[in-house]
Amino acid sequence: MIHVEIAGETLFTIGWFEVTNSMVGAALASLLLLAGAWYITRRSALIPNRMQSLLELPVEWVAGIVEGSTSRWRGYVALVIGLFLMILVANWLGLLPGVGTIGINHTVEGHEVLTPLVRPAAADLNFTLGLAIITFVVFVWWGVRVNGPVGYLKELVGEPRYMAPLMFPIHLISELSRLVSLSMRLFGNVFAGEVLIATMLALTTATLFVLPLAFFVPSIFLGLELLFGAVQAMVFALLTMTYITMAIAEHEGDHASEHDGPEHRDKEADTHPASSPA
Amino acid sequence: MEPEGDHNGRDTPPATRRPANWGIAFDLGVRLGVSVILGLGGGLLLDNWLQTSPIFTLIGMVLGIGAAMYTIWDVAHDAMRR
Repeated sequence: MIHVEIAGETLFTIGWFEVTNSMVGAALASLLLLAGAWYITRRSALIPNRMQSLLELPVEWVAGIVEGSTSRWRGYVALVIGLFLMILVANWLGLLPGVGTIGINHTVEGHEVLTPLVRPAAADLNFTLGLAIITFVVFVWWGVRVNGPVGYLKELVGEPRYMAPLMFPIHLISELSRLVSLSMRLFGNVFAGEVLIATMLALTTATLFVLPLAFFVPSIFLGLELLFGAVQAMVFALLTMTYITMAIAEHEGDHASEHDGPEHRDKEADTHPASSPA
Repeated sequence: MEPEGDHNGRDTPPATRRPANWGIAFDLGVRLGVSVILGLGGGLLLDNWLQTSPIFTLIGMVLGIGAAMYTIWDVAHDAMRR
């Protein structure tokens, strides 16, 4: 029987605190990242070896993308890289053998049900919502920081002022939609991947006649999940960058001459085409 | 190899910015749906709480659709600015 719980399943409780299998997945992903960070800070060399290059590759790639966003990119590059690596490792951890298949058996209403010891963290809405709340708080904070609290509220109220009763709730819904779309997209994709792989395994092991298919059909979907895991991590991280960039860019657009970011050079090139590079 | 640029001599966005545009494309479709659901859901909750059905449901739906249209404008405005 195909059985994938939509919520993380409780493994044990510490007082009132319930430890779920998705928490174990998130903790394992964090430990892996900490081990990678420990390795790169203790064993790094000027001429990197293969392991160091492998660990530095995603960091340098994401940093290269964030660098081109605004002149204040150093203020949020760590968050974007951190989100990318955490989601990537959490997603790929879920594809390892044993994750979702090794667990505790128990009987519910006459059926034997397996509670996996580890579950991909992003297949739990609590994890993705937590990350989205962090992103939401950070881009609102950047909006308040560059515009000031009053300026940020004025942006929410909009222009002209007499339209405020209509525009304020519209702006509010639009801002909240970012929080919901970030969390639901990641959760939906990872959870759908879990269900898809479980379904493929169940279909290919249903009878002896189709059993040979079980050796390669799920592997095709596992390969696709490898790709989707990376794409979803990239989308989440880049949207975080885009939201922060949008919060900063409106302010910077008014003060382009004060900064020297690449987008300001573009703006200056628009204003003074004769001085722009050919 | 010709340098990247349009006929006005302006630089086109560097290759490092292009993945961000994919992210915006992924985001837009979901945010349209989410905006309408948030407006409608908020209206339904208010109606259930205040027993005023269907006034706030309708208002919420209109605001949700408005927010979805505003989202399109916001994303397009940002893309044109960049």
